[in-house]
Amino acid sequence: MNAIFPTPDATESERLLTGDEMEAALRDIGARRYHNLHPFHRLLHDGKLSKDQVRAWALNRYYYQAMIPVKDSAVLARMHDAELRRIWRQRIVDHDGDAPGDGGIERWLKLAEGVGFQRDYVLSTNGILSATKFAVEAYVHFVSERSLLEAIASSLTEMFSPTIISERVAGMLKNYDFITKETLAYFDKRLTQAPRDADFALDYVKKHATTPELQRQAMAALTFKCNVLWVQLDALYFAYVAPGMIPPDAWQPGVGLVAGADAPKPEAGPRRTVPGDTPRLPRGVRLRDDETRGKTVLLAPERTFDLDDNAVAVLKLVDGSRTVSQIADELGTIYAADPRAIEADICVMLDGLAEKRVLER
Amino acid sequence: MNAQAPIRPEAPAPVGLLAELTHRCPLRCPYCSNPLELDRRSGELDTATWQRVLREAAGLGVLHVHLSGGEPTARNDIVEITKTCADLGLYSNLITSGVGGALDKLQALYDVGLDHVQLSVQGVDAANAEKIGGLKNAQPQKMTFAAKVVELGLPLTLNSVIHRGNIHEVAGFIDLAVKMGAKRLEVAHTQYYGWAYVNRAALMPNKAQVDESIRIVEAARERLKGQLVIDLVVPDYYAKYPKACAGGWGRKLMNVTPQGKVLPCHAAETIPGLEFWHVTDHSLGEIWRDSPAFTAYRGTDWMQEPCRSCDRREKDWGGCRCQALALAGDAAATDPACSLSPLHAKVRALAVEEAAETPPDYVYRTIGSNIRSPLKEGASS
Repeated sequence: MNAIFPTPDATESERLLTGDEMEAALRDIGARRYHNLHPFHRLLHDGKLSKDQVRAWALNRYYYQAMIPVKDSAVLARMHDAELRRIWRQRIVDHDGDAPGDGGIERWLKLAEGVGFQRDYVLSTNGILSATKFAVEAYVHFVSERSLLEAIASSLTEMFSPTIISERVAGMLKNYDFITKETLAYFDKRLTQAPRDADFALDYVKKHATTPELQRQAMAALTFKCNVLWVQLDALYFAYVAPGMIPPDAWQPGVGLVAGADAPKPEAGPRRTVPGDTPRLPRGVRLRDDETRGKTVLLAPERTFDLDDNAVAVLKLVDGSRTVSQIADELGTIYAADPRAIEADICVMLDGLAEKRVLER
Repeated sequence: MNAQAPIRPEAPAPVGLLAELTHRCPLRCPYCSNPLELDRRSGELDTATWQRVLREAAGLGVLHVHLSGGEPTARNDIVEITKTCADLGLYSNLITSGVGGALDKLQALYDVGLDHVQLSVQGVDAANAEKIGGLKNAQPQKMTFAAKVVELGLPLTLNSVIHRGNIHEVAGFIDLAVKMGAKRLEVAHTQYYGWAYVNRAALMPNKAQVDESIRIVEAARERLKGQLVIDLVVPDYYAKYPKACAGGWGRKLMNVTPQGKVLPCHAAETIPGLEFWHVTDHSLGEIWRDSPAFTAYRGTDWMQEPCRSCDRREKDWGGCRCQALALAGDAAATDPACSLSPLHAKVRALAVEEAAETPPDYVYRTIGSNIRSPLKEGASS
């Protein structure tokens, strides 16, 4: 708990930093210690985690989310200034919402449900890693026991969160087909809430850390908070990535899920093209030589498709009488290639056009 | 190379021509993109001139021609003009209200080779739709017209312009498009130029409504994949970055007015001091390449900060010039719809404020109205 803030130069550490220097020092802590740097997050955002590993993250992180209003209530209870409380209580509202079904905790539950959990299992907090609980509870104790300045400074990880959120949302949407935009709705709100909260807290810290000692305390508090986040990922990594030692009582893959959570998603969209299909371009879709730009394009309602040479070769044979197999045979002869390999590529290309409703079969 | 000649960004070949064949229209939509001063019938270009314009357009590299208005079928020669497009290999897109004489001419348009029909729908509920369009009994005519388009085998796009008077009907528009057999649906939030700018307070939805409409569209896209393509245009005032207006000034599109003036976009006339050339005085190629209106904001040389050094300057080309003028008082400013504009917060606040008030009555579009353009007032400030 008594994190030692590095003091490379004793005299330097005795100097009172200006507001800008203080801010830079705080940002530097994030640049070196914020959990976006943790290997588990890299795996998460790059799409390298299995569905069960993403579930373990969502489940454990719920405990942190659920305790945030408890933490903020503890901070609130120590504020003697109504003005300050009015600002701080917004955080509790953001997380708890004003009514059932609203707020950040609810949106996190949606995320957990989105990856397959039963709501009640998540709410029970059974299966949460002990290390997660220890870390989160240490945070609650910290803000109750330390000075108000340190309590507020410990919230400053929010300064760093917009970056991680945009990385996370983009990475997860791109890399996991079981994650939808709705599932990640939690982060939409945080993108605007976190900077607002962080701006206030940063101003407060800059204004109230009036001695070198207070500044050091504020920096140590932020370091502590970075560690609260970091060790939660250490625990997840240890239990669910490598060496994969899941402690007794912690969540095991398969537990607490809704029925069918692992069933393959039913194929959405139009049926796939098969070699026996006879594709054709409907009225209002046609190939045209574009002499001005020296290429062949596909003209369609309100859009123009730029085509590569392969697509042009295929579409020139799409005439409503040849089947996909026949087209593949002809192209196989022309290009001295295996028609069955070409056939598969043609099907994929035609699927893409059919989905955009510019090709019929 | 002539060292004396001013260096001007090269004009890429245009891809689209918006042919505003007439400003006459049976509908009176309060968000019409036509200018406040509408051209009268007596000043409209004749058939032969339009045919020459189309020939010149094809020669320049234009691929798509959008036959628009007003109501393009109000012209007696619409079939002839469409046939000229087909003869030249131009892709013809009829942008129609589906009322008035549209239905009567549809078979002939099909026969001469019309490629695509974009039909406007003002609302799902007939009473609401007819209130917005300002024409009684329009909705059944539109439904009959749409059925005939599909029956002929022409591709049909429904276009719904979204605002606070119909934003609750977004899901309904999607169902309607499916029911009618449309292949595409445009859910286009109102862009606040022209008549829409005059009626902005009556039209502006609030942020929650906009978000909900986006959610509905995204869910429907997934559900209807391969059945209905949905294009979504989100409202500028709530956006993060502006749209590349018309794909960039003088880069892709041009707009010929009923009287033959050639504009870089349909609202360009709101910018004072721009000199527009006329198809009766110059060839389309000269106008595209050299007319002062097209060269004024082509490329990036005209830009100010924050556009000038912005990484996105060749993505969105600084947004919309007309909107920059209307909202920032300077057509060369960054479009205030951009979050990087110093005026962005103000514009957004304005949208929020207007959306919170009781909507005023619509000012319906009419030829020969005395509505003064608030855009021009903004320009002098």
